[in-house]
Amino acid sequence: MRPILAGIETEYGLIVDNRGAEDQVDDATALVAAYPGPCHVGWDYRYESPRADLRGFTLKKLSYDPVDAKFDFGRARHRDENVRADRILPNGARLYNDHGHPEYSTPECKRLTELANHDASGQTVVLRCGQEREKQIGARIRLYKNNTDFHGASYGTHENYLMPREIGFERLYRDLMPMLVVRQVLVGAGKVGAESEPQVAYQLSQRADFFVETANAETLYRRPIFNTRDEPHANPEDWIRLHVICGDANMIPSATARKVGLVKLALHLCENGTAPKWSFRNPVEAFRAISRDDSFEFRIQLEGSSWTNAYEVFESYFAAAERTLELDEDMAWVISSSRRLLANLRDCRENVVREIDWAAKRSMLEQFMDSEQVDWNDPALRAYDLEYHNVDPSEGLYAALVEMDQVDAGPTAEETERYLSRGAEGARSFARGLAVAKFGDKLTSACWRTMTFRAENEQVEVEMPPDANYPQALEEAESVESFIQMLRGVS
Amino acid sequence: MDGDRLTRPLAPEPGKKLGDDQGPSRPQINKPGGDNELLKRMKKIDPDQAKRYRQRSGQ
Repeated sequence: MRPILAGIETEYGLIVDNRGAEDQVDDATALVAAYPGPCHVGWDYRYESPRADLRGFTLKKLSYDPVDAKFDFGRARHRDENVRADRILPNGARLYNDHGHPEYSTPECKRLTELANHDASGQTVVLRCGQEREKQIGARIRLYKNNTDFHGASYGTHENYLMPREIGFERLYRDLMPMLVVRQVLVGAGKVGAESEPQVAYQLSQRADFFVETANAETLYRRPIFNTRDEPHANPEDWIRLHVICGDANMIPSATARKVGLVKLALHLCENGTAPKWSFRNPVEAFRAISRDDSFEFRIQLEGSSWTNAYEVFESYFAAAERTLELDEDMAWVISSSRRLLANLRDCRENVVREIDWAAKRSMLEQFMDSEQVDWNDPALRAYDLEYHNVDPSEGLYAALVEMDQVDAGPTAEETERYLSRGAEGARSFARGLAVAKFGDKLTSACWRTMTFRAENEQVEVEMPPDANYPQALEEAESVESFIQMLRGVS
Repeated sequence: MDGDRLTRPLAPEPGKKLGDDQGPSRPQINKPGGDNELLKRMKKIDPDQAKRYRQRSGQ
């Protein structure tokens, strides 16, 4: 089974005391610039193509939220790269300001647990930025790993999967869409209330209210379940970077791993030509209905007049994978742990709180309601929903649940330091991180795809094939010239 | 909703509680127990925190 390289980008919610959303771009820029650790400042934008569409065309422009346009009216901005304040960290991650949100893009990883732990370690990165910025300005700063402000503004947690170009849009869309619709049952982060009709007390997904189309290249407005942006961050003749935007930010790392693992499972089946065939009548309606379904039946209308449910859709992927793939350790874990959780959900047998964010959050809220004799109409519940995602472990409610051993914990402090100092084993992020840590004075620019060094009095750009194995021996390079030579030899 | 952000408070249907719908009863979800550090921490939170929380749209 070919390893699928994957990464996660998380845009964090940001509150600075006595500042508003109209100040958020400036505040996020300053917060990222306050990053206190070693890093490379800058980013090479030459290979970016956010308007290119997998279906073979390029949009003239991307849509923009009209409410945000009002925030920006009359405000002067510096050059785009200064506003973004890009930092590349010693683990190969990218930290920058994305539309007013500090964004941590993990190093690309091959394994699920490694990726989930890198994603969790990103919380420490943005927290440290916030603490440093607090010292500079003397104002309280809070950061949230969530996806909504409860007033109609959403910000994303995106996953990225490297896939062969030859597979193409049609196969990817057909084989992945059903999984994208049902995945929230196991990996939704939960939300009090709704930001679109119909109203509901509590739903599984933070993001379900914000998807209005099945497929397009937009991300800020008119968001789709299946994003068609074609920006491979690798040789475009060979690779697609599948950009999944419909997931939630998970606090529970095992949920992060499962979120990515379920998509990888569908992609392996897609590549193998053995994915189950489903034809949902309206994927957007199904996505919203599942998020709001308090009966836990999770019914989905199919083309024609028949119905299925999320349990059957999940099982169709699991059975197809067991029948047609040679499962690696990650995929075997995804199937066994997901089956166990689904059985617990359907048959009311066991506890699912430890491993599912929406269940952990709901359990926490129900405990509060029982204690205070209030119901779902209590407006304070949204404050507790928000604070579940507070990344400061001394304040956040997810962190409180960890302290009480009620949910799966993230990496220890020691493990976090290790994740922040090294890229992923065998992946190109390992080489990028090494370049920052060891040859930072020679590194003139970098992006996901390439790095450019000043070596022997000239600029040398090195392509980093995403499917190559980057050996630990790279650490032994004693000069930038030998490092470049070793990089050119990876395969 | 995109392009038409809601600014009014959102409340569920009056009187409707989770589990009122037809279908199987909701799954058993065990609640945190003990002397409850969680509740202590929740009570320190400003109940209006989310009401004031406004963000730009991201991606």
